[in-house]
Amino acid sequence: MDRRTILEELKKVLYPYTENKELLQNIDDHTNLVKDLKINSANLVDIIIDAEAKYNIEIDFDSAEKIITVGNCIDAIAEKIK
Amino acid sequence: MSAPIPHQQPIASTGNDIVDLSATDPQRTSSYRFYSRIISGEEKTLYDQLGGLPFDNYVWLLWSIKESVYKYTSRTDTALVFAPLTIPVLHLDPPSGDGFYKSMVIYGSEMLYSRSIITNRLIVTVVSNDENFDRTWWGFRPIDEAGYADQSAEVRTFALGKLHSALLRTDLRIEKSAAGYPVLLDGKGPLDIPLSLAHHGHFIAYSYRLPPDPPVPSSRSAILKLAVLFPNNSLNRKSAAN
Repeated sequence: MDRRTILEELKKVLYPYTENKELLQNIDDHTNLVKDLKINSANLVDIIIDAEAKYNIEIDFDSAEKIITVGNCIDAIAEKIK
Repeated sequence: MSAPIPHQQPIASTGNDIVDLSATDPQRTSSYRFYSRIISGEEKTLYDQLGGLPFDNYVWLLWSIKESVYKYTSRTDTALVFAPLTIPVLHLDPPSGDGFYKSMVIYGSEMLYSRSIITNRLIVTVVSNDENFDRTWWGFRPIDEAGYADQSAEVRTFALGKLHSALLRTDLRIEKSAAGYPVLLDGKGPLDIPLSLAHHGHFIAYSYRLPPDPPVPSSRSAILKLAVLFPNNSLNRKSAAN
């Protein structure tokens, strides 16, 4: 699965936690989950767990701690499904 | 639009956090898959010894402490990433006479202390390196609208109102530093009063820390000291609701 495909699927994971849904249309690797998408930090664990469930993977703690941007999310997912 | 406030090394810091429990999922929070990303095995043992608190509340209490520690520390270490499991809560006391859950955290080279209030609607925490929180002021209140823009505007208005009352001035404003933390300024530039803001769901909270010598003209210092000792709203300190 290429990064573009993961990105499109990731938008669905981020959707319930993003107040302004329009922001999701233009996200890229550099989009910061908290600063740019205004996702509350309290939902970051939800996002990791939802991504794990969606791809039937387990994102290790080290990778999870580095998830700050959309690109970090894609990296963590891509690493597990390759 | 003004230029970002450059990062400056502060001499003291403050950090706070608030959790709106209605915006959390107790069942999901209590699942190992969720809480194991926030609390360690040692901290789970701490819960078993604590007793009397629903487990999901405990998880969010530790989240709140760790987020507050992160905010306190990231003011001086702007490259820091929030990783809850790297912030160990070593000791946690249930409320005694003052109603606060109190914890102790060693993070980096610093010993930090927290005070938290838990109600059936929220968990709010403040962190300091001063066990007595002598110059730290904090407060929280509910808001009607839970949208991000409302939360952000309301918490700034709330904090500025308290600061204007405490410092007897009306020329303060809040901007974000280049690193992302809030900075209190007057017409001359940033003040040496670290400020932390938090919002979640229908609640907002602030904390700030006054320097040893308040930055005001000497002719007003006596008035300021009185204001600090007897703020307009006594709930502005340590248990501030509404």
